[in-house]
Amino acid sequence: MADNEYDAIVVGSGISGGWAAKELTEKGLKVLLLERGRDIKHIEGYVNASKDAWEFPHRGLRPTQQMINDYPALKRDYPLNEIVLDMWAKDKECPYTETKPFSWFRGYHVGGRSLTWGRQSYRYNKWDFEANLKDGHGTDWPIRYEDIAPWYSYAERFAGIQGSKEGLDVLPDGDFMPAMELNCVEKDVAEKIKKHFKGSRHMIIGRSANLTQPHHDRTNCQYRNRCWRGCPFGGYFSTQSATLPAAMKTGNLTLRPFSIVSKVLYDKDKKKATGVEIVDAMDKKTYAFKAKIVFLCASAFNSTWVLMNSATDIWPEGLGSSSGELGHNVMDHHFRCGASGKVEGFSDKYLFGRRPTGVYVPRFRNIYEDKRDYVRGFGYQGGASRGRGMDVAEFTIGADLKNALSEPADDWSIGIMGFGEMLPYHDNKITLNKNVTDAWGLPVLNMDVEIKDNEYKMRIDMMNDAKEMLEASGVKNVESYDYGYEVGMGIHEMGTARMGRDPKNSVLNGNNQVWDAKNVFVTDGACMTSASCVNPSLTYMAMTARAADFAVSELKKGNL
Amino acid sequence: MDRRELLKKIAILTGGVVIGGEVFLSGCKTGADAGLTFTPSTLALLDEIGETIIPATTTPGAKAAAIGEFMKIMVTDCYTVAEQKAFMDGLKSLEDICTKMHSKGFMDCSPQQRHDLLVSLEKEAKAFNDKKNEAEKEQKEIAKAAKQPFTGAPPHYYTLLKQLTLWGFFTSKTGMTETLRHNPVPGKFDGAFPYKKGDKAWAE
Repeated sequence: MADNEYDAIVVGSGISGGWAAKELTEKGLKVLLLERGRDIKHIEGYVNASKDAWEFPHRGLRPTQQMINDYPALKRDYPLNEIVLDMWAKDKECPYTETKPFSWFRGYHVGGRSLTWGRQSYRYNKWDFEANLKDGHGTDWPIRYEDIAPWYSYAERFAGIQGSKEGLDVLPDGDFMPAMELNCVEKDVAEKIKKHFKGSRHMIIGRSANLTQPHHDRTNCQYRNRCWRGCPFGGYFSTQSATLPAAMKTGNLTLRPFSIVSKVLYDKDKKKATGVEIVDAMDKKTYAFKAKIVFLCASAFNSTWVLMNSATDIWPEGLGSSSGELGHNVMDHHFRCGASGKVEGFSDKYLFGRRPTGVYVPRFRNIYEDKRDYVRGFGYQGGASRGRGMDVAEFTIGADLKNALSEPADDWSIGIMGFGEMLPYHDNKITLNKNVTDAWGLPVLNMDVEIKDNEYKMRIDMMNDAKEMLEASGVKNVESYDYGYEVGMGIHEMGTARMGRDPKNSVLNGNNQVWDAKNVFVTDGACMTSASCVNPSLTYMAMTARAADFAVSELKKGNL
Repeated sequence: MDRRELLKKIAILTGGVVIGGEVFLSGCKTGADAGLTFTPSTLALLDEIGETIIPATTTPGAKAAAIGEFMKIMVTDCYTVAEQKAFMDGLKSLEDICTKMHSKGFMDCSPQQRHDLLVSLEKEAKAFNDKKNEAEKEQKEIAKAAKQPFTGAPPHYYTLLKQLTLWGFFTSKTGMTETLRHNPVPGKFDGAFPYKKGDKAWAE
């Protein structure tokens, strides 16, 4: 093969791209993995992983004014922090525009957001895949739970997901590693919730991609809870710790950082892609690479951005736009509302180790007989902890204050925050804004997305139900809150190139193939037809592995 | 304790004003010239103020944690211009009040005199912040309804001093390893770890 020819090209090296590279190389394909940003090497690239607070100039407490100026998007929430600043895209190099406020937090480097993700890993349930059909929002998923269930198992076994088996329809069990433990307060509250709600509501350990046993070449979690800096033990799933070494081991992978894919090259006679064109981020020159199949895994909006820039001589709005749905049906998870309070009676217990996951309360609204004034539902994430002392009204300063603050508080605190499903609305969309360009002269995206009535109604339940559950469990001083939510803050961008049953109203078919170019696959968040209320990354892993299996079998049959 | 919890607790301790809570929404540029001058005597003053709030006991205090240097870095790099001004003007006010109360500057006062001064400032700051919060309540509601960010005026300067002292001390090497218990690699998890009164808290 010539230097620029491969069997497959994978665009993006985050969770989805890493999986695509692993699966395709393990099936014998020569793969080129393109990443727009710099390389971060496993372990040696995690420059802040083992630093203590005092080793950071501002102790990670508050961003500098310079950082606030340099990161107009990232500054809107917690990700703007000196401890992990180099694991986020530089906003000013790659701006975007907003018709309505949208927080877009991106990881432009090898591994993408697989390095900084929250690691919560849940399966969609059978109702999630039927919801659009049943309540009429969006379009019907072209697949059902049974189609993806084996791929969930496959992904879980390789990634290493710790979790407890609960036997709940609403949150299907998987192939888990032994679960991390609830702490003493969480156990007590979980017990009381179960009793009070007669088994219809549950508080369980948050299922996460953290190892509780050694796995392949990776060490089990050391309970440092510094995951987002990169883990020198390989204790959580990331491209670097898991999929990239597996792909490298085959000898079939070429990784090319600093490669911004600007378009898919399309042959209109064969109705197929022939490869991709890139802009080299360093020398700013254009290069072309050829391949039999292309996997777009550039993160939801960027995969769609590539499609919008492709085959525009045939479809002015880009490859996949013939349906009128490309760029539409943007989804995220809305959150930042819930409740918290204090728990008395556990002052003789404390915590040892920092568990990198919390508790999870699976959805209980609008399932079985429950019926609300909105559709779909939400789950809660949270946890109990024992903070440092603060009950010091009489010790304003001095030795007494110091002593009070150097011991744990008498009481524990517990909090749960809702994560709600956002419906796929056609008018929630991203479009190309050719009037604004990035540092490489490429047009940027414009965001026009909002949450609507269904989500606002759901948020009221998300607050009130949290309060009710905590109070029913004997938690004291329970206060509910809604901090307000701007779309994108969930960092779960989904939709914009949805899967469907009909090329007239969807961009992808049931195997993640672009209807208008069957050798182009989109398997990241862009493909999602509905959002469920659970964290989506495990579904991208399963979806990518499934699509890669299909792609290779089609390739062998000569269909691609 | 994670960063959010730490910030929240310190906010409550220092009068319920979350300094920096608004910075995620604001983006004021720190002017090169906001009257910032940290001379060796300013740093010495900050060290002694910090030491009065968190003194050496059986373990080192804020001075040993180089709290003056920490304050200088935070005020210079992280504060908005308005906060910088409140902080620098506040140091002058503190000296004025000290002279009125004890007929000498802070550096010349005894530990007890310093303590008494800061206790009186704590009361003044509480009244100041309560009044400020009350006055800004309406604007805050309006901003919230319009989904606009709200940046209030800085709190009382003593609140800034106390907050920086607590932030800096409990994230310093001595604070984390000598006053608190530090365990960077726990290796295991126990969610019902025995605790008896007097055991130190974990540093993170």
